[in-house]
Amino acid sequence: MSERITRAQIPISELTITPGSACQGCGAALAARLSFKALGPNVIRHGIPCCPDSVTQTPRVGTVFEGGGAQLTGTARALKAIGREDVLAVGFYGDGGTYDIGFQGLSAAAERNENIIVITKDNEAYMNTGNQRSGATPKYARTSTNPIGPRSRGKPRPKKNIPFIFAAHYVPYVGTASVGFPEDLIAKVTYMKTIKGFRMLIVQSPCPVGWRFDPAKTIEIARSSVQSGIWPLYEILDGKTFKLNYKPKELKPVTEYLSPQARFRHMTEDEIADIQETATANWENLLKADEMGRLTL
Amino acid sequence: MSYEVMVGNKAAATAVKLAKVQVASAFPITPQTTITQYLSEMYAAGEWDFDFVNVEGELTSQVVVQAASKVGARTFTCTSGPGLLYMHHPMQVTGSSRLPVVMAVVHRGYKGMQPDHSDLMSQQWTGWGHQYVEHAQEILDSLLMAYKVAEDARVRIPIAVGYDGYVLSYTAEPVEIPDQGGVDKWLPPYKPMPSVLPDEVDPTTFSRGWGGGDPQMPWKIHHEAVLKIEDVLKETMDSFEKTFGRRYGNGMIEPYKMEDAECAIIAMGTIAGTCKAAVDKMQKEGKKVGLIKLRSYIPFPVKDFQEWAKKLDGFAVVDRSICPGKGGPVFGKLRGSLYDLEEKPVTLQFHAGLGGKEVRVHDFEMIGDKILKAAKGGTVEQVTWI
Repeated sequence: MSERITRAQIPISELTITPGSACQGCGAALAARLSFKALGPNVIRHGIPCCPDSVTQTPRVGTVFEGGGAQLTGTARALKAIGREDVLAVGFYGDGGTYDIGFQGLSAAAERNENIIVITKDNEAYMNTGNQRSGATPKYARTSTNPIGPRSRGKPRPKKNIPFIFAAHYVPYVGTASVGFPEDLIAKVTYMKTIKGFRMLIVQSPCPVGWRFDPAKTIEIARSSVQSGIWPLYEILDGKTFKLNYKPKELKPVTEYLSPQARFRHMTEDEIADIQETATANWENLLKADEMGRLTL
Repeated sequence: MSYEVMVGNKAAATAVKLAKVQVASAFPITPQTTITQYLSEMYAAGEWDFDFVNVEGELTSQVVVQAASKVGARTFTCTSGPGLLYMHHPMQVTGSSRLPVVMAVVHRGYKGMQPDHSDLMSQQWTGWGHQYVEHAQEILDSLLMAYKVAEDARVRIPIAVGYDGYVLSYTAEPVEIPDQGGVDKWLPPYKPMPSVLPDEVDPTTFSRGWGGGDPQMPWKIHHEAVLKIEDVLKETMDSFEKTFGRRYGNGMIEPYKMEDAECAIIAMGTIAGTCKAAVDKMQKEGKKVGLIKLRSYIPFPVKDFQEWAKKLDGFAVVDRSICPGKGGPVFGKLRGSLYDLEEKPVTLQFHAGLGGKEVRVHDFEMIGDKILKAAKGGTVEQVTWI
């Protein structure tokens, strides 16, 4: 489990070269900045097609969109073969490369328990190509392929529960994080570095362009997502040990998260109630799991 | 040096061992399957220090070896027919990244499971070197040479070595196995260029893509690197013969009984072996036809064929693959190679062995008769389906 740190313990060193080619208020760029602070320089960064969030002062290699899990596997095996296991094989991928086109290869890498770290900057749609829906897009969200009209209320199906799906591969570590909670994110990346095997961190990374909110509000949106139980922060070890890392006494209403985002602007009272109900029920389940300290997958 | 009676797939696995491959990865598919089993057994027995990654599909196996090669491991993968088609996307990255991956392609057609060359032929645009071999000994030897050529600093291009499924993959024949010490001396350890390790990396490789400048330049560099295979393969064939006592023509082509021939049959893979038997028979009967076995399709032995064209009256091209609506790839490329010659020999196209169809000695005799007749000015249809 990660150990709580204070803001003063966030490393001062910067491994991302700023300014990057990201948009204003880009959550993914912040996810990169924070993650690489904790990862340090002894890293080979692996990329696949995704938003050009940042350039880091580490070697970067890339391959085909669907090859994220495979290239990390190849790197990790080769590092072992040449006696350089001190170097971390890190994938910094988008939600398309994790939830969708890259899912098969990552699932197989998880099943083999490859010695790799996967960090997903989850901005909940294919933002690099202009906000088309992905498996990570939440229910009712408007995207460029889920326009609102007589036959469409936004995305009809909920977001895949990808952290639980990967936890059900019984891998050493799966965590969720948010750019609105930098201490938690850094603590989790720091912990991942201390263990071996398949490690994955899904970082919810608000996208002002796709989610359609004021770029100054990225952190507020990210925080309200966690505080309303839409994106809870937790860790799952070996598919069984469970810990909620952020437990407010009371959840904020989901409207605090939904209202500032134009992608949810069309939602009716009933649709908002649907999201509220789902978030509350999910939160209660997670609280129970946290109390027991374990999940049954 | 030792001998063993082994199937073609065992010869391939033996080459992987002799080359001391560090990371191999493959997904089982008929008729390549037993290579994955031999490699798994070799891994389990700890025969040498290597890692074999059993993956969930061919696309992953290609990306695994691509990344491992980039980081600094000598790599191997293998597949057949549909598996090769599934690898198409990452294969072009392996080629463009100029990573010296070596792959065995155990031919399986994709209209049915029997062998033809349509699988490897369909990967012409991925920027690899493509070779076609005839028997188990040649599989072993060619894979070893493929590492030497692919890793040569002048080349740095991945190489696929194709051999016919079933006929070679599952058929046993005596194979001479070179000594490990001799191979170690002949094939130096692999070093990646450039290194991607954090403490060795060149910072100019941090950015995406090729950087600014002429967007056509990467294609030119890639094309020229693939063409370099010709000289390096010829050199490598010489040094292979010097070290291990065997050779296959000049590496690009292997002429058979061409000394007094007036016409040549051009064939690839196992059916070139059948053609040798037909040539023996025809020459006994006084027919002046020989065989030029085509080993390297990419790069294509343009100069070699131009030289032979000066001495010959006719070429009969046997293509074991076809691009529907376009024709046989070797036939088209050969005719292109001869275009600049003042005196061009007659060329005939034969479609044979597609979908694993048997090609027999008498078929080659018919081919020989046709090209001899055409070379003497007789009327013969240009395209024949055997």
